[in-house]
Amino acid sequence: MACLSSSRLCARVQDKLLCQFGHKVRRQTVFVKLKPPGPSPLRIFGKTCQRVTTCGPACGSGGASAATSAAGVARRLASSLQSTSTGSLPDYGTQIVDPYRLLEDDLNGIYEDIRAELEKNTNQAELNTIATYYFDGQGKALRPMVAILMARAVNYHVYGENSALLPSQRQVAMISEMIHSASLIHDDVIDQSDFRRGKPSVNVLWNHKKVAMAGDFILAVASMMIARLRSDDVTLVLSQVVTDLVQGEFMQLGSKETENERFAHYLTKTYRKTASLIANSVKAVALLSGADESTCELAFQYGRNLGLSFQLVDDLLDFVSSAQAMGKPTAADLKLGLATAPVLFACEKYPELNPMIMRRFQEAGDVEKAFELVHKSRGLEQTRFLARKHGAEAARLAHDLADSPYQKGLVVTTDLVLNRIK
Amino acid sequence: MSLSRLRNVLKCDLVKASASSASISKLWGPCTKEVSTCSTQRGSVAQHSSKPDWNRAVSEAEKIVGYPTSFLSLRWVLSDEIANVALHLRKLVGSNHPLLKTAKNLIYNGKNNMQAWGLIVLLVSKAAGHSPEIPDMEQDKAAGVLHSQRALAEVTEMIRTSHLVHKGLVNMNARQQVAGEPDDMMFGNKIALLSGDYLLANSCSELANLRNQELVELMSSAVRDLAEAEFLGDRDEQNNPLPSRPVPEGEWGPDSEWDCIVDPLPMTGVTGCLQREWVARHVLAAGALLGKSCSAALKLAGHKPALQTQGYLFGCHLALAWQAFLDLEAFTGPEPASFSLVGAPLAFTLQARPELYEYIEAGRRSVHDVDYHALYKAVLEGPGIEQTKRLQREHVSRACAVLDSFPPGDARTALANIIVAMHHEI
Repeated sequence: MACLSSSRLCARVQDKLLCQFGHKVRRQTVFVKLKPPGPSPLRIFGKTCQRVTTCGPACGSGGASAATSAAGVARRLASSLQSTSTGSLPDYGTQIVDPYRLLEDDLNGIYEDIRAELEKNTNQAELNTIATYYFDGQGKALRPMVAILMARAVNYHVYGENSALLPSQRQVAMISEMIHSASLIHDDVIDQSDFRRGKPSVNVLWNHKKVAMAGDFILAVASMMIARLRSDDVTLVLSQVVTDLVQGEFMQLGSKETENERFAHYLTKTYRKTASLIANSVKAVALLSGADESTCELAFQYGRNLGLSFQLVDDLLDFVSSAQAMGKPTAADLKLGLATAPVLFACEKYPELNPMIMRRFQEAGDVEKAFELVHKSRGLEQTRFLARKHGAEAARLAHDLADSPYQKGLVVTTDLVLNRIK
Repeated sequence: MSLSRLRNVLKCDLVKASASSASISKLWGPCTKEVSTCSTQRGSVAQHSSKPDWNRAVSEAEKIVGYPTSFLSLRWVLSDEIANVALHLRKLVGSNHPLLKTAKNLIYNGKNNMQAWGLIVLLVSKAAGHSPEIPDMEQDKAAGVLHSQRALAEVTEMIRTSHLVHKGLVNMNARQQVAGEPDDMMFGNKIALLSGDYLLANSCSELANLRNQELVELMSSAVRDLAEAEFLGDRDEQNNPLPSRPVPEGEWGPDSEWDCIVDPLPMTGVTGCLQREWVARHVLAAGALLGKSCSAALKLAGHKPALQTQGYLFGCHLALAWQAFLDLEAFTGPEPASFSLVGAPLAFTLQARPELYEYIEAGRRSVHDVDYHALYKAVLEGPGIEQTKRLQREHVSRACAVLDSFPPGDARTALANIIVAMHHEI
């Protein structure tokens, strides 16, 4: 992807491994200190110490071939990065903005509600057990959190201070987590993973045929919940998510020959597999709020950028995080034959990665070699840089909403996503 | 055979079934009513055409509602994803993965073909007609159905196919080694899971495009029912169903009714009563989808809820009659190497002779370990076949009773013809 090639863009991330929140993100209060923008290392969230230096024109006009929409955003963003002073991060004011804390009441019991909804829909005990397995409250609940945050921010934007969260919007938050889990369950069967979220994955514990059916079941119950919102537009928006997820999976089966195509393919796949769910569920809550078209589109773009940023960080963490922190094995993508952003970036410096990508890291030693080359290259920092750009774009969009704690929460979330370690 | 000829053949009213006020709960009751109409139907058809065979009934019916309804249309085959699947399927040839068999069955134009399901939905649509308020734009005038109903028929087929494809996964988690290369099996599972998901996702967006949320809810509940079906009762390690241990009649729990079909099917009083278990199993696995699809088709046409319920009952009874017919097939020709352990003939036989259950026990690990010959003999000697025939007649008559409430016309005739063809060959 030429427009992000290292020659034109220089991003230095001092700490590759950003230390931050431990496992219990939601318990922790996040203090954001008011700091004047400046080149000094910024202290965010108490203990994170990072420094980003950008220099030179971040992106040229070249690389039009990789003109996916994501690349377009990256280019647009580059100029916005330039205009801000080096290393600066938005100013949140002195108040405490931990979105999880902010939404504590709304998120409270969300897993219980999902489990209750699933239980209500079956009289088969084992189906209930499998279907509710991942709704144990151990997940990050990122999707419901973002959906509710956007719901409240848009409600505030449209109706002012006294607006409340609509029950239908909370339903969308639940639905987003359910669609996500249904796809995880099917992924587990496809990828034969051993662990997820720090416990044995479903395919280890149960009959694979039943596991596949449990995934279908969760999707069916989610569809019924969508239908009960009685909104044609919301149903259309959320059905798009399911189509995107499957198409993303299909894209993952194949790979492209040339580098440019490959990166575009990767970004589209990432949008479909991850960002679409977040983007369309925040769009759905905006629709339910009765917001105008441009606000709904803003919500969508926020979700899209946040989702891309989230997945880029995920792909990065697969290389740098420990298995223990992730709750699942690392270098998992390579082992599955998938070339994610760090590898694709590393290709520029180490073309010998190309044949490995084409054979999906099948030969003995491929995974180890690729892993090593990625670490030797600047692939990880370039990936982080791209993730950061999408995060910044999401934050920029959030700034266009009326000022409210929720709107601030949306901005903070972009940092949460970037700075997570699991 | 032209349409007019078909009408002549069937000019005597085929659907004079004893009007049973079939309520949803009636699906459960024991089959007490003897049906007289079906035998006269059979006679009248036989007079004119010696063999109203299945394929002819279906292909004639297809002409009535336009073109073949199968989703295996060009649009589908030409999609990128399916082209991808076809490519990958080729890698599986030679392996033992059941996906190949599923794929073959999808294309093979046999009697157990799910293409007929979309056809039934369209025939019901045409037979019931639609409200005059529906604008011309939304009608397929030539075929006499609405465009939305055609989309729904396609959704029905996609949901059913998706379910069959997902059912065709291999459990890699079994204690017993799976026959075949693990890598092939894993790859086959991946393709099967993705293809099924693809169909399911497409049916989601097709449904969303109909912009009718009650309908989306109803059809989603049918997907849920199919998933539930795969959990009902005992299973071997590959999730093949086994009947539950029969309990004497006096010890059966109270029967339950399915009052609201959007709620899950109640399971109380099912285990141990093999007739009820048979009904519950096949309502979940087949009847619910066909019934709900027929009901949804009538909803799209603007019919009243009462008729929508009739549509549900028609589809449900038809699916059960169909199932009973398929169950019987194993016992009409030469002795097969194996047959369904949850078929109606065996269910009735086991209920009458509970000691036979030890043969079933042998199949806990794999249904292949069962002594089919011994069970086959027991079924032939016992009352199972007769009772299954009665069961089938019962469901046929209930389905026919619903047909009666539709105005006469080519679609109603075609539906009756399909039912008769199914019935005739026993």
